[in-house]
Amino acid sequence: MKVLLSKLSLFSIVCTLLLAACVMPSANSGAAPAAGAAQPAAATSVINVYTDGDTNISDWFANIVKPAFEKKYPQYSVNFVTVRGVGEGTKTIADRALAAMKTNADPQAEVLDFDALGYPEMIEAGLWQKLDETNVPNAKDVVKAARTTEFSMAYRGSQVLIAYDSSKVPENEVPKTFADLITWIKAHPGQFAYCRPDKGGSGGNFVDRAIYEVTGKDPTIFKAGPVDPALVSKFDDAWALLRDIHPAIYDNGSYPAGNNPSLQLLANGSVSMISAWSDQSLQALSKGVLPDTVKLYQFTDLPMPGGYAPLSVPKNAKNMKGALDFVNFMLSQEMQISVLKDIGGFPAVEWATLPKDLQSQFTSVITNQVPTWPGGAWSAARDKGWYEKVATNIDPNSK
Amino acid sequence: MASQSITFSTIRRLRHVTSALVGYLLVTPPLLVMIFLIFLPALQAVVRTLFVQAQGASAATLSLVNYTAFFGNPIARSNLWFTIWVTLVTVAILFVICFPLAIYLRFSSSWIANAVQVLSLFPLFVPGIILAFALIRFIGPHGTVDTILQLIGITRFTTPYLKPAGIIIGLVWEGIPFTVLVLTAGLRQVDNALIESARDVGASEWRVFRSILLPLVQRPAMIVFCLNVIGTFGAFTLPYLLGPAAPQMMGVYMQQTYGEYQDRAGAETQAVITFLFSAVVGILYVRTVTKQRAERR
Repeated sequence: MKVLLSKLSLFSIVCTLLLAACVMPSANSGAAPAAGAAQPAAATSVINVYTDGDTNISDWFANIVKPAFEKKYPQYSVNFVTVRGVGEGTKTIADRALAAMKTNADPQAEVLDFDALGYPEMIEAGLWQKLDETNVPNAKDVVKAARTTEFSMAYRGSQVLIAYDSSKVPENEVPKTFADLITWIKAHPGQFAYCRPDKGGSGGNFVDRAIYEVTGKDPTIFKAGPVDPALVSKFDDAWALLRDIHPAIYDNGSYPAGNNPSLQLLANGSVSMISAWSDQSLQALSKGVLPDTVKLYQFTDLPMPGGYAPLSVPKNAKNMKGALDFVNFMLSQEMQISVLKDIGGFPAVEWATLPKDLQSQFTSVITNQVPTWPGGAWSAARDKGWYEKVATNIDPNSK
Repeated sequence: MASQSITFSTIRRLRHVTSALVGYLLVTPPLLVMIFLIFLPALQAVVRTLFVQAQGASAATLSLVNYTAFFGNPIARSNLWFTIWVTLVTVAILFVICFPLAIYLRFSSSWIANAVQVLSLFPLFVPGIILAFALIRFIGPHGTVDTILQLIGITRFTTPYLKPAGIIIGLVWEGIPFTVLVLTAGLRQVDNALIESARDVGASEWRVFRSILLPLVQRPAMIVFCLNVIGTFGAFTLPYLLGPAAPQMMGVYMQQTYGEYQDRAGAETQAVITFLFSAVVGILYVRTVTKQRAERR
């Protein structure tokens, strides 16, 4: 085991070096054709694609997306770079592109796995290319809720839902609404778990859903940016609700420290129901990490939040045509089916545009609504409240 | 004759000066690193937590508001006490386990002793995160221990996973190699002749332990105590993955305050309090080590 690990880490170092080596020369060769502009570039033009996604995403880009794209578009070659854990990930690459724009240099980046929405200053600086039906034809199929900004294009989504063991929870007992779930948890003490909201989105979005429950089930009142103190004061009702079920949570109120530890508790039978990410659950099911008796469902009243991952293209991308073709390709039916089948993600396009058999196969995870929690300061207020009023070992009423 | 002795002494002095210079040159880089990467930021942190700019005020003034906020917060207090408690229990258990082990390794040279030595050092080569996941599988719900106990009919096993005991088990496991190493080294310094002569005059094994080994091993024991306390107090990975959501150890709490609540001043105050606690133990350690040096001279 140890030897294997050290070999793996050595291997990853070698890979990183190789990657670095691959990127460097292209920096030089990229400048050369620009000098002799009359001469068209070589037979294939390079598209630099960056992601800082988890291993499941970077593996998918490298092993499935890249070969499929190059097969369909032989005129391009994709230089795919993983920047997970390097600086601030794709944000660093975006910063670099912004700096390159100011000096008219080549940003060495065509497509970034990056959400422009989060950084208004970059949008104001005019860094991003507008993406819509005019330059990305497949954008017409993308669900409206996923198009939060015209400067990024959603290509996959995931959402938190309920995963349960159908061998322990009979079909007619499965709670259909959040209120039903609360009743179910109290009736089955120790059988439900969700992770700490700051340690994994599967717990965070479960807590978000509790907050929606006590604030009128309207996710749109939570606007990105600074928190609304009046709304935050209503969180107390959510804490009362969650504190009420606290003793009935797994092992007298124990909360695992992440998405995977939650899945582990479900997989080894310690609990019979958890809140989980759709993509992680589907992938765990297909790999056999979760027993096939595990089923997924989403609330029928208001689903739990989730989000879409978008691609962004810097305006100064050298190979703009290639970048747009790539984004368009990601929204093609072929790739959207791959999102579903290979990484367990949600398609970013309307389900109706996908084959009928898929729609019925994944019916449990299909929702027409993906509420998005604004994050940032809202999450900070949420986590602080949760630790102080729900998971605490101190009686919240005492001082 | 006289002139010769003068030249000798100047040469000697010159040599002394150059060797001292080389010495200082050699310690400069680590000293600079210490100053710029540890002392200076630590000092800045202390200053920043003490000088607070009130809302609307133009300049920061000396204030203990950060500290009164920390000690006025029941959760912060409970986390601090919890950290101290976990640290003391962990270190106590480490001594109970490792002291007999070290004595055994000191006096036995059989192949079993060698195997025990290797085994006791094994945790040194296992990264914390691997250990945490291995322990979840081992002592966690439906883990190896649970399964074995069920096989022999014990069904009342409650898992220490996500409980304070989970953290302690992990930290003890992680602390064994270092503790055994230093204690064994300390015991090896005790001269065999001392023990044999005591035995010759009829001292019992217990007497040998109490009157010779125990006094002579005090210093290494002190060193082990100090370094284990400091290490355990600031532990992060194992408390993060194995411990409960509340109370939390200071390392986890700090990361959360800084990273999640985005409360920089709060996290810094927690860091300074942790630092002060470790500094008190650190002074104990430095005193033990310098005393040893002074005696050797």
